[in-house]
This record gives sequence, C-alpha cells and structure tokens, in this order.
Amino acid sequence: MKLLVDFGNGNTQDPAIASAILETGIAASIERAMMEEDGGWVLLSVEDGEEERFSAALAKRGVASRIQTNSVVYNADECVDCGLCTSLCMKHVFSFDKDWNLVVDADRCVLCGRCAEFCPQRALTVQK
Amino acid sequence: MYETIDEINERIRDGSVRVATAEEMPGIVDELGTAGALKEVDVVTTGTFGAMCSSGVFLNFGHAEIPIRMEKMYLNDVEAHAGLAAVDCYLGATAESETLHADYGGAHVIEDFIAGKTVELRATGKGTDCYPRRAITNEFTLDELNQAVMVNPRNSYQCYDAATNMGNRMVRTYMGCLLPGHRNVTYSGAGCLSPLTNDPHFDVIGSGTPIFLGGANGIVIGEGTQSSPGTGFSTLMTCGNLKDMSPDFIRAATMTGYGVTMYVGVGVPIPLLNEEIVRHTAVRDEDLVTEIVDYGTPVRNRPVIRKVTYAELKSGSVEINGEEVRTAPLSSYKKAREVAGELKKRIEGGGFLMAKATHPIDNTKCNKPMAEKGETVHVSDVMVKSFVTVTGDQTVKEAAKLLLKGDTNHLPVIDKENRLSGIVTTYDISKAFANDVQEATVSEIMVQKVYTTTPDVPIDVAASMLQQNNIGALVVIDANRHVLGLLHSYDLGERVVRREQR
Ligand code: SF4
Ligand code: SF4
Repeated sequence: MKLLVDFGNGNTQDPAIASAILETGIAASIERAMMEEDGGWVLLSVEDGEEERFSAALAKRGVASRIQTNSVVYNADECVDCGLCTSLCMKHVFSFDKDWNLVVDADRCVLCGRCAEFCPQRALTVQK
Repeated sequence: MYETIDEINERIRDGSVRVATAEEMPGIVDELGTAGALKEVDVVTTGTFGAMCSSGVFLNFGHAEIPIRMEKMYLNDVEAHAGLAAVDCYLGATAESETLHADYGGAHVIEDFIAGKTVELRATGKGTDCYPRRAITNEFTLDELNQAVMVNPRNSYQCYDAATNMGNRMVRTYMGCLLPGHRNVTYSGAGCLSPLTNDPHFDVIGSGTPIFLGGANGIVIGEGTQSSPGTGFSTLMTCGNLKDMSPDFIRAATMTGYGVTMYVGVGVPIPLLNEEIVRHTAVRDEDLVTEIVDYGTPVRNRPVIRKVTYAELKSGSVEINGEEVRTAPLSSYKKAREVAGELKKRIEGGGFLMAKATHPIDNTKCNKPMAEKGETVHVSDVMVKSFVTVTGDQTVKEAAKLLLKGDTNHLPVIDKENRLSGIVTTYDISKAFANDVQEATVSEIMVQKVYTTTPDVPIDVAASMLQQNNIGALVVIDANRHVLGLLHSYDLGERVVRREQR
C-alpha cells in the first residue's frame, strides 16, 4: 500500500520517516520524493495492513500522511487498448489480459504522470 | 480444386456460407490440411486497428444562395484543402487546429462529424462573376453534407518496423514515446490478423475489393501510396462512406510531441478460391518477421537493431543487448479482432458480398525513396575550421586571453593526444573570475559533457540538436575525437535562411 507523506511548509525538523520506521518496525521504502527547503512530499510503500499504524507514527511527529490509492484513473470508454502505456510505465501498472484488454493495477502507481502525458486517447488521469 | 466468387456469393445469399477469421485459420489448416480447409471455409476475414495518419475525407457542402468559390477553408479551425472547384474540400486527418494545435485536428473533426456533432465551416474566396460571395461561416452536421467520403491514400501496411530508441534522449514519434536507452519497443499492425499478411501476393485483393472501413462497407481503390509489395511493405488505398462509420471503429488520437493521427479499423475479406490462397491465410505470428529499428536516429535508413517476429513482439517483451524490453502494440489487437469478427458477422448475415477485383495490383513493385535534387547541406559545409583550443593544464587566465583572441564563446579543451576532453565557454570563464579563481587550471572548471557532431551529419539534424539542448555551438570531431571545427548556431541560422531564400 502507498502512503503519501506531506511535509507541508517544511517546518518539520525531526527525521520523521526514519523515526516512524524505528518506532513501528515497519519497513517502508521510498517510491518517489519531492523535497525542497520549504516542504515537499514523499511517496512511501508500506506493507499492506500496516499503513494506519505507520501513518499514526508520523502524525505523532506532526507529519500528515494519507493512503494513496487509485492514483491513475482510467477511462475505459476512451481507451482503445493500444498498449502504449504498458511500455511506458516502469512500475508495471498496465498490462494486458489474455483477450488484449488493458488491465490497470492503479495502486502500483508512483504518480510520475508519464502514461497520462503520452496516452494517444487521453484516457488516463493521474491524481495526487 | 477451386471455387468461384459466384459460388461463394450464392452461399452468402442463402445463408450457408462458412466464414473463419484469419486467427482461426492456422488451426483449421493444421487439422484439415489446405484442401480440407478449402472445402470447409469459404471466406477468411482479416482486421487491423491502428494509427493511420494517411487518412482524410472529401466533403461537399452544397451551394449557398449567393454562391462562393471556397478557396481557403477551415473546419473548427482546422484547415482543409480547398482548390477542388467551389464547394468541396479534402480534410486531412493530421492537419492541426490553428488554435488548439495538436490537441485537435482533422481526425477530431472527422470524429465529431461521426458522433453527430456540429462542425463550423469558415471559408473565403476572391469573388468572381459566377461566385460573387467572398466569405461564409456556417455550421454543419454530417447529415447536412451532401457527400462525406473517407479516402485513405495508404493504410493496412503489410508489415511495419518496430521502434526503439538507442539514444540518450527521449524521442516523441508517431510510434509513440520512445524512452532513452532502449527501455521500450513499440510496434504496429495486427500480425497474422492483418489484411495484407494474409494475401501478400495480391492473389485476391485488388481495385474494387469490398472491405470494412471504420464501420462502413468500403472498397479498395488500388495500391496505396508508398506501397512496396516487392519488399514486403505493401499498402492499400481505400475509401468508404463516412456517414456509415462508427466511433467504435474510428478514433482521433494525439501522439504527444508528434501530433494528431487517426485510429482506423480496416478489415478485408479473403474469399478462398484455391489452396494457394488458403495457405497464405494460415500464416502465424511466428512466421512474420520485422525489424526493430532505432528511432533515436532521425534519418531515413534508421539503424536496424535486430530482427523480430510478431510472436515475440506480442509476448510483451523482447531482448535487446541482453536486456528484457517491454513491447507495446500501438495498434489494438482487441479492436483488430472486433473488426474481423464484425466483418464475419456481416458476411454471415448475407449483407456483404465478395467481388472479383476489377484491376489487379502489381505485386513486384518496390517503393523509391525521395531523390533530393539539390544537395543536402552537411555539418562540414557550415562548420568553422579555424578555431582555438586550450589544454587542461593551462590557467583560466590564459584561456580567457585565447577566448578574446579567437573571437568565439567556445574553447574546446584537448588532451595530450589532441583528443577532445571538455569545453570551456565565456560563461565558465566569467564565473571563474567572479569567484576569484582565475589561477585555477582549465581542467578544474571545464565542462566534461561536450555536445559533439561529425562532418557528415545533415545540417538539420545538427540544428535540432543545438535547439533541443539549448546550446550555442557543437564541437565537430572525427572518429578519434580529434577536433575538426566548431558549428555555431548563429552561422547555421544564417546558412539555413539563405538556403531557403534561394
Ligand atoms: S495508452 Fe491510453 S489508449 Fe493506449 S492502452 Fe493505455 S490507456 Fe488505453
Ligand atoms: S503515473 Fe507513472 S507510475 Fe503512475 S501509472 Fe502512469 S506511468 Fe506508471
């Protein structure tokens, strides 16, 4: 499961993620991050079922986070199953079933936006 | 043993016709042999659904009360080709809107017409005695047009190169986005289901062959433009009534960074008249070989990376240089199946008859590339051959003096063997002075990543490299990285403009 950690205005001085990992013992891996001096966000991957506990540990340190699901929204009416997205997404969000229907595993998405930019039918939207 | 078109049409009319899709044929032939398959199957349906840029529609608007000879025409801000008498135009699918650019084009106008939407026509003419009016703005739906006929100068490529990108910069092409370092492969065509792979020698397909086009019943006009059956790359020119088309089988699209295109579904029925024809329809993806080529190199003869079969491409990944690379079809195999299935239904329903081609297509012809009259300008024609270089152990101060003397902003840095090792620009030198490090050596401040080119590169390729990287000059080198000259963007701008004015 993905957890989007929001560092708001960057006031946090604590190593919040590291501390939360130590406290909870949950192995969290960083999928993507955007950090500037005045804040930013980090997208974490945590074990399924552990996201609430991890989120609580972050909250204790004044850092907001929320579960990130359905990051990429797929409009089946627009899609023509051309498959371009299957080759562009490095997180393997897209694949074909045996009948060549596009299958979307939206929870693997790390919000890079590439698929939406290049889908010839503009059938994909990425939302954070 | 052979059958005739008349016999097959008889069966279509009385409902006893037996139709198989091209995908089913290899299995049928395996089981029954070609003679058995000929006895059991009358027609094989094929299908493809892919980006077919070479598409457009002829439209007729009728005469206005005060008539106008439309000489410039726009449909929803997309320019259509006038110059066809007074009230007709040809709207090309890839033409782009003057206002929305690549987000809306001829293909979208065509899609809007099919969807029953209203399209705005703006036209002007010079005004003549018989056509006094000079401008008109009006709205049309597809029903209100007298004729709307899709004509595709070429589609249904028998075979098409698969694309990858060996370069280090993302390229955005009509084959989709190609990631740097060959991280994806895109291909086109439905493989064993494609119309022309099932009749590679044009035994049955010719002028007048009835087809399925975008949901309508259309026909083959003849060989498509660029058709090259002699080299395995044949195409068809097709037409069909736009009024009968359906959004299920024809869709506008935008390849980001390339532009507007149109996805079109084409299906060709192949009447099985003899065993030779049967054999061709039993083709499998394993038998269909194409090449993966490097679209990172923008020349006509793109480097071939490897040969590949459609079976490998359709598996979802192929190997390039020992790495697994994901493949994407671009054409929709699901839609191609729907096309072949729909065509099968129409034939079985009795509403779609076979016809003998009125004119055969020459199956030996080879396509010629464009022979450019007037020579291509190369980097060697424009580069500056007198230039100064500096070595890495010289000081920044010395480099500054050389820059002033050389009347340039770019100083290539060379090593002991005279090979290019870096570059310093006026910017780097000024920065060094500003930071008070003018006694430092050139190698400490130089930029090691140098944008280079070679003398034999066409000037347009070098120009786009300068533009894409937003830099002022390229260092021209030979195979041993010896510096031969500099190519400045300002020299090049002048040269290109001068050429165009000639
Ligand atoms: S790129 Fe777009 S149209 Fe093509 S399969 Fe993906 S979502 Fe569908
Ligand atoms: S946004 Fe990026 S990670 Fe998410 S599905 Fe699209 S390509 Fe994959």
